[in-house]
Amino acid sequence: LPGRLKISPLFVALVCLAFCSRLSRMKAASICTNSQTGCHFLSLANLFDRVIHHSARMHGISNDLHSEFELYFLPSKNRVSRNCHTSTILTPNGKENAQRIAREELTEVILKLLLAWRDPLWHFHQNMARHHKFNNLSSNKSLEMSEMVHELRKGVQKVAEKMQMLGIISNSLGTLGSREALLASDSPEWRLMNDYNLLYCFRRDSNKIQNYLKILKCRIVPEHGC
Amino acid sequence: MTVSLSSIILLVLLNSALDWLPTPGFAFLMDHDQRSSSATLEPHFTDCISRDQVTFRCWWSPGRLHNLSSPGTLSVFYLKKDSPTSEWKECPEYIHENRECFFDANHTSIWTPYCVQLRGQNITYFNEDDCFTVENIVRPDPPVSLNWTLLNISPSGLSYDVLVNWEPPPSADVSVGWMRIEYEVQYRERNATNWETLEKQPHTQQTIYGLQIGKEYEVHIRSRMQAFVKFGEFSDSIFFEVTEIPSNDSTVPFTLVLTFGIVGVLMVAMLIVISRQQRLMMILLPPVPTPKIKGIDSELLKKGKLEELNFILNGGGGDGLPAYATDFYQEEPWVEFIEVDEEDVEGEDKEDNYNSDTQKLLGLPHRTTEGCSTISYPDDDSGQASSDNTNLPAHDSQMLIASLLPGQPEDNEDTVDTPASETGERPLIQTQIRGPQTWVNTDLYAQVSNVMPSGGVVLSPGQQPKIQDNTSSSESKTQKGEKKNEDKEGIEEQTKNEPRFQMLVVIPEGSEYSAESDAIQTSTPPSSPVPGSGYQTIQPQPMETKPAAMPDTNQSPYILPESPQSQLFAPVADYTVVQELDTHHSLLLNPPPSQSPSLCQPQHPLKAPMPVGYVTPDLLGNLTP
Repeated sequence: LPGRLKISPLFVALVCLAFCSRLSRMKAASICTNSQTGCHFLSLANLFDRVIHHSARMHGISNDLHSEFELYFLPSKNRVSRNCHTSTILTPNGKENAQRIAREELTEVILKLLLAWRDPLWHFHQNMARHHKFNNLSSNKSLEMSEMVHELRKGVQKVAEKMQMLGIISNSLGTLGSREALLASDSPEWRLMNDYNLLYCFRRDSNKIQNYLKILKCRIVPEHGC
Repeated sequence: MTVSLSSIILLVLLNSALDWLPTPGFAFLMDHDQRSSSATLEPHFTDCISRDQVTFRCWWSPGRLHNLSSPGTLSVFYLKKDSPTSEWKECPEYIHENRECFFDANHTSIWTPYCVQLRGQNITYFNEDDCFTVENIVRPDPPVSLNWTLLNISPSGLSYDVLVNWEPPPSADVSVGWMRIEYEVQYRERNATNWETLEKQPHTQQTIYGLQIGKEYEVHIRSRMQAFVKFGEFSDSIFFEVTEIPSNDSTVPFTLVLTFGIVGVLMVAMLIVISRQQRLMMILLPPVPTPKIKGIDSELLKKGKLEELNFILNGGGGDGLPAYATDFYQEEPWVEFIEVDEEDVEGEDKEDNYNSDTQKLLGLPHRTTEGCSTISYPDDDSGQASSDNTNLPAHDSQMLIASLLPGQPEDNEDTVDTPASETGERPLIQTQIRGPQTWVNTDLYAQVSNVMPSGGVVLSPGQQPKIQDNTSSSESKTQKGEKKNEDKEGIEEQTKNEPRFQMLVVIPEGSEYSAESDAIQTSTPPSSPVPGSGYQTIQPQPMETKPAAMPDTNQSPYILPESPQSQLFAPVADYTVVQELDTHHSLLLNPPPSQSPSLCQPQHPLKAPMPVGYVTPDLLGNLTP
């Protein structure tokens, strides 16, 4: 017991040291976020590249799952006339439209879409896993898809924050996006969708997200060819 | 679970069955193959394609049954389902010559479902499958500006790698990122039928590995939207070929350098040899080791300093050597000295005098004949020798008998004397004539281990040491062709005065015998008592070649036939004596048993066998007639 008593203060000191260093680092990080100089930041272009790469991967997975569904499950003849629950979200329909609307609006659309798909994809994956409708590979893809939506949304939020910080876009972004997105996600429409429709809709929306991010980057980060 | 599974299977089968039926209208969302197979009679759309995801076009066909091919009889209507209240609208832009309906950017909405239909005067031709979204009908244009560069050629020179690069289609807005295109490269040999397909990848260059030299290749590329299905058309093919590159450049200088190097080295070597620089010569052409006689300097002999040699051989230096030699070698049974009987020599007639040392050394013909006769097989009578004598004088220089036998003079003197009665005066034969028994125990050649000052030669190892005051026997070891001439010469000169050794050398050169004298001895230490270590023994083995081969049985111009019993006693020899040469000039190590005493006859050169000794050049001159 006396030995333990001797050791414990040393142990406590070490623990404190470790934690304090972490705290200092975190503080440094927080300080860094507020200041614009002297910290090693990922550049906005780099951030954009990351989220764009992420969205491309997400779209690829959604395409794979949709193709599998088309292969193994009969698509309804009336497949095109289905309604997606995200139809309520106004999105630019073409390249010119996407280039014309405001950057904040475009960013907002992206965030809305991502938020709208968070829950439905999660439930979709749960549904697939529970009923063993997919093989293991596809089941892993559905899980990955739902996670990616989540991560991508966070990533785009980071990009938006950085843009706001840099003064590229105004600060009116945050609240609007979340409200509408919540509305969309709460709508029961997506629960009525069958699996195939859900995959079809998400495939379309992930393509939208990917294209919007590309155009957004081209508009914000000056690059060759934009 | 099972119900759903079975229902799914049923539905799948039903769907597949439906696919085989010709479908009314047309669903251009299907692949081209299906589209062509479902060609119908009604007016229908053949295809709708977007190249840049901004505009799209649709083509229709009037069908076969109805005569609606004239323009204006059919109109295109489309429905854009971007709102619940959307309506069918007519094609914004007709291109009648192509039967095409073009939708420009204002009328194109991506991610929006479109449906198109054909309308006649009163009939609407609509297929539900003719609905699509624009992003799904995008077929990008093929890439442009295909180019290729040679990357490398394999070390074997048989295959090479090529880097193909191109530009994205100009219609696709890749820079903005509106379209992300991946490319599929295909290549084949010029006249092949099957294309090799490489994996799709989004970069504008690709490496093709493992193309073969000398073959022409064709490459084309098509593009596709990433994560979409439809490919565009293939680009125009490019052709390229890589022929063999002559690699002489690298080898020609190499061969030149090699040749010049060799020539230079050879020239340097020649210069060295010609200039006879002693040291360089020693390095380049090391001298052949030669046997040495104790007390005799080969260099002296070369220079013709025979006096010293004579002095040495004659026992120069007084009694030192003999006396000591006598004491020294008394105990050595193997040391043998060739006895030379001075009186007999001097008592000889002129002929004998002529057969002085040199002659003796060389082996005078008549002497040798006499000796030969005695030297011949013990079985042979000595009487034969006399008959041979007459023949010899004419060829006195031709035949030499190597007769260096360490014999056992004490033992066989009696027997020896009788056959040797005729040749008693000849010191040559003395030792030889000891008789067969002596021959049994004696070697034809013995190694001179030491030269006594008195001129006697100490033989080793041998039989009883024969030590005589007045004589010294020297034996020279005859080595077949090993030592030639120069040393012999001096010795023979010296032995003119004293009958030292006597060697009968028969050389089957042409028709004559050339005399060889072998005066060189390897100086084996006398203390080597191993019998036979320095002796040459003639193995008494039956000759293979025949005397029959010889015209004269008397021929056998070699030395000693030994009786077979000698094998038991014959020590192992360092040297083997070539007894004879047969008609085929093959060496016979043992004389034919039935050799006649005419072995000394020099006029039969062919049978002349082996050179048992050395002949010096001047002696050679003497020998050759």
